[in-house]
Amino acid sequence: MKRFIKTLLHNLLLAFLAFIWLVPIVWLVVTSFSAYTGMNTSTFFPKEWSLVNYKNLLFSADSVAQFPNWFKNTFIIACVVCVISTAFVLMVAYATSCMRFPARKPLMNAAVIVNLFPGVLSMIAVYFILKTLNLTNTHLGLILVYSAGSGLGYLIAKGFFDTIPNSLREAAYLDGASEATIFWKVVIPMSRPIIVYTVISSFLSPWMDFVYAKLLLNSGISSQWTVAIGLYNMLDKSLINTYFGQFCAGGVLVSIPISVLFVIMQKFYVEGITGGAVKG
Amino acid sequence: MKKLVALAMSLTMAFSLVACGSSDTSNTSTDAAATTAASTEAAQTAPAEKQDVSLRIWGAEEDQTMLQGMIDSFKEHYADYANFDIQLGTESESTAKDTVLADIEAAADVYSFASDQLIDLVNAGALQSVDEMDAALEAYAGKSVADVKSANAPGSVDAATKDGTLYAFPMSADNGYFLYYNSELVTPEDAQTWDTLLAAAEKAGKKVGMTLASGWYNASFFYGAGFTTALNDDGSTAMDWNGTSTDGVTGVQVVQAMLNITGNSAFLPIADGDVSNQIASGDLCAVVSGTWDATAAQTAFGDGYAATKLPTYTCGDKQIQQGSVAGFKLVGVNKYSANAGWATLLADWITNEDNQAVRFAEREIGPSNINVASSEEVSSNTAIAALSEQSAYGVVQIVGGKYWDPTATFGEKVAQGQLKADDEAGIQAALDELVEGVSVPAE
Amino acid sequence: MKKKKSGIGGFFKEFGEAVVKGDLFVKLSLVWMGAGYIRRKQIIKGILMTLLEVAVIVFTFGFATEYVRDFGTLGTVQQETVFNIVTMQNEFNDYDNSFMILLFSVVSFVIWFTFLVIWLKNEVTVYRLQKKAQAGEHINTFVEDLQQFKNDKFYITLLALPVMGVVIFTIVPLLILIAVAFTNYDQGHMPPSALFTWVGFTNFKNLLSSGGMTITFGYAFRKILIWTLVWALFATFTTYLGGILLSLLINNKRTKLPKLWRTLFIVTIAVPQFVSLLLVRNFFANNGIMNTICANAGITQWLRDIGAISTSYIPFLSAPGWAHVMIILINIWIGVPYQMLIATGVLMNIPSDQLESAKIDGATPLQSFIHITMPYMLFVTGPSLVTDFVKNINNFNVIYLLTQGVYTTTNQAMANSQAKEVDLLITWLFNLTQSYYNYKMASTIGIIVFILCAVFTLIAFSRFLKGDREEAFR
Repeated sequence: MKRFIKTLLHNLLLAFLAFIWLVPIVWLVVTSFSAYTGMNTSTFFPKEWSLVNYKNLLFSADSVAQFPNWFKNTFIIACVVCVISTAFVLMVAYATSCMRFPARKPLMNAAVIVNLFPGVLSMIAVYFILKTLNLTNTHLGLILVYSAGSGLGYLIAKGFFDTIPNSLREAAYLDGASEATIFWKVVIPMSRPIIVYTVISSFLSPWMDFVYAKLLLNSGISSQWTVAIGLYNMLDKSLINTYFGQFCAGGVLVSIPISVLFVIMQKFYVEGITGGAVKG
Repeated sequence: MKKLVALAMSLTMAFSLVACGSSDTSNTSTDAAATTAASTEAAQTAPAEKQDVSLRIWGAEEDQTMLQGMIDSFKEHYADYANFDIQLGTESESTAKDTVLADIEAAADVYSFASDQLIDLVNAGALQSVDEMDAALEAYAGKSVADVKSANAPGSVDAATKDGTLYAFPMSADNGYFLYYNSELVTPEDAQTWDTLLAAAEKAGKKVGMTLASGWYNASFFYGAGFTTALNDDGSTAMDWNGTSTDGVTGVQVVQAMLNITGNSAFLPIADGDVSNQIASGDLCAVVSGTWDATAAQTAFGDGYAATKLPTYTCGDKQIQQGSVAGFKLVGVNKYSANAGWATLLADWITNEDNQAVRFAEREIGPSNINVASSEEVSSNTAIAALSEQSAYGVVQIVGGKYWDPTATFGEKVAQGQLKADDEAGIQAALDELVEGVSVPAE
Repeated sequence: MKKKKSGIGGFFKEFGEAVVKGDLFVKLSLVWMGAGYIRRKQIIKGILMTLLEVAVIVFTFGFATEYVRDFGTLGTVQQETVFNIVTMQNEFNDYDNSFMILLFSVVSFVIWFTFLVIWLKNEVTVYRLQKKAQAGEHINTFVEDLQQFKNDKFYITLLALPVMGVVIFTIVPLLILIAVAFTNYDQGHMPPSALFTWVGFTNFKNLLSSGGMTITFGYAFRKILIWTLVWALFATFTTYLGGILLSLLINNKRTKLPKLWRTLFIVTIAVPQFVSLLLVRNFFANNGIMNTICANAGITQWLRDIGAISTSYIPFLSAPGWAHVMIILINIWIGVPYQMLIATGVLMNIPSDQLESAKIDGATPLQSFIHITMPYMLFVTGPSLVTDFVKNINNFNVIYLLTQGVYTTTNQAMANSQAKEVDLLITWLFNLTQSYYNYKMASTIGIIVFILCAVFTLIAFSRFLKGDREEAFR
């Protein structure tokens, strides 16, 4: 009996925590189903339920809300970024973890130092570099911004590669395999968790960033935007009353695929982080 | 000679305008006739072959459809001089400056902005002087810069002028604030003074709302008492609020009056930009806001919807009429535009008399054009009537870039009651600090 | 494998040797980089090197000198325009753009530096070829050289693109940022219409001196610095501890359906931060739903009665103190599920025999948590704790999204420096650039943030990372 009560209390505590964690999310979801387009401040649940926010968001695009376009843009950008970033991260991680060359230590130290600079600050310089290359207001420019520096985030993947026993690679080496073959045929197949981890985290960045996107896509053509700028823009003082409901609906629509991705990949994700974090 | 050409031009334009206005886009014989007339004229002024002109224009989100209509009519009107490729983008008038100044060369050729941004934009060299475009306007639009100036309300022209040069075309005169009230709860007499207004609200169990944490709103108390702001040569703001005004009122007295209002339990200080939400919440019976909240106020107040000038406030033993900031929306031309001339004509086009009338008809935007403003429909609009009533006490706010943060903070201090009405020394010190903050040169 | 001389010193020694002892073609390679290869019949390599050299020369004289020549002054020709009525266009003079001069100069320096390294290396390589030829060893064909990039030199293949990306999109901007801190690039000196120039250490002096309140940023800087550090400390450790506790709670064998619970918490990570933070900000707004609930429940009145608030609402995110605490709490909400995931993974690997034996010895759960679980966690995740701390110092999103546009400071001195009590250094400098175009001060602050992070990282890593951990596990 005592055990039962303990178990009950234990689960109740969890339920309570989960409740706190989910309150804002629930609010997001219920508000997105509100018939009122602005922000409802008097009651938690909407007074009137409706699908109007979703309908407007998906089917009646205006200059403010171009959600289908944004979603498409962000999705394409995210996919490309994901491929480039994952490749970069794995390449740098393999080079620093499995190979020994003279510039290795200096490069790794330099990476640590460079990572310490606040990225927000170098924004304006990045902008003008892209402008010189004629890449502002293009999605390619945005892709470059998100993926070019991704090699710097190699540490976790390197930590993971460090756990792969040397003997495996040496055996392959004795069989006459080149480094490239070892990379492709030995190390990569063993790295599923860290690949999943890198893929997820790099896939997410274009969905989250609004600072760079806003700076780069500055032509005022809202159909070019990404989801993040578009939704952020909906909370503009002059728009929030008409678009708060759509903002919530957009938030829900973005979160669904990402949640699903997370839940499915949870196991690999955990293994990826921890495999890497063991060595930092 | 020049004048003659101009006269001929303007006649042609007037003709073609009437023609365009009277029919829709489907071709009619009058339309064709007008175009022919215009093209004969064009042969004399325009270069032999038609230029390819591509322009980009930014306007507010809510105006997109309307602007597209204006662009189409512009293209049609000037079709004989150039092939236009005009791209319309969104940029809120309130944030135009930030986006333009991030990279002037990448900004649109024509953009609209709130008049308080003019100084910063001119200083950064982001605006084409309209005065320099006199010849282009005369040649193609058949009017001079002087005509533009005389067609619009003097205040709007002042707001678009810096150091004697006109830098933008006035587009609307509704960027100011006044009092909305619910006439079922507050009588027009009650709305005359803050004291009676707050008393009526108290009785009705509702609140009177106003934004204080913004130098755009809270300056109204000071301007009303004869205080001023001006721009120094170094880009800082010259402010006399910590002294005595020309009307013989001290800044301390004004702040005390403000504190008496904010101390009243029927007063609700509203965060900047949150007014529409508050109106919609239904807790208010009166609120200080502008035409952009007309719909919200109409919905919330229903049949009681009414608007008037701002009330007077009690300062010592006298009543002082609360002033206001006379704000305007302007349309400017990017100095770095590749086609500055045609950009100027486009800016002129979307702000001319006809299009200001369109703007009012479609979006109830108060015109700066004198003729449109005096028309029957405009002057009978509740909100715009109240605005023009208030405009007698309106001031064109000329301040430097470092004005906003310090004044917002000062307003917040008053709103939160951090200053005490009986602590004159404290208020004086706070005002001194404020003045010190806004007088820092722009860096 | 051949033995390589280590270090930069060794490299230069070999370079010197190459210049002195090299034959005619090796010496000629100092001027014509392809010479040495062509002499050893590595024709393709020779041509490629020559092409590279030509490209750099063309770049230097066709492009770079135009900008670098003005690097000392950052430009002198002010922009002027004349309107031409015939073309309907503005005609500009050939004006200087200080920022472009700075940008292209830095790009040129980077390219020249890279070229210098290649040039030095080239000389050494050519000399090695000479020695090989003299010793009669086999000299690689071009194809064999290419093969190298799949084997010994595979790291070059791997690193080339990522390093290039980092150089162009991170290093070059950083160098520009550092340079800007020594100029007067601000609203009064904004290209293209105006020029800016070098001012030495003036900006640093202004930031760090504590003269008149409004003229210097000193006061605001100190206040923000303190909050930045407090924030980073709390944000890092609350989420870290919270994550461990939550994962222990979920992994406890009393938990029914642990997977379900975990998934519930993970959902909060999956909502993009800007959505969840903007949402929470409206949730806790002065007239937001939380205030309505508190007012209805009488909490607001009670807080007024005890004098905790003077307003008719609870200023969750709009008054100092309140906002500081709320920001840290909201950050816990955001950060704990993520840390929980990490902790879950790490704790799976914890040696269970230790825990078992502790239990047999009669240790309470708290004792085994303090003496076994925590030390293990700290050992494993220590380094990531350090990087988390640095990330939190630069945690732009949380602060910006929660406070931008809703928090009005009531501290006049802060407002006069365009700062708020809840600003981190990073959000402050962002505002300085976005709304006040004060790039010089923003860059100065940026450099100080960097120094702060660097010092912290150095100290922390020398404590956490004693010895070379990376080889320890193999």
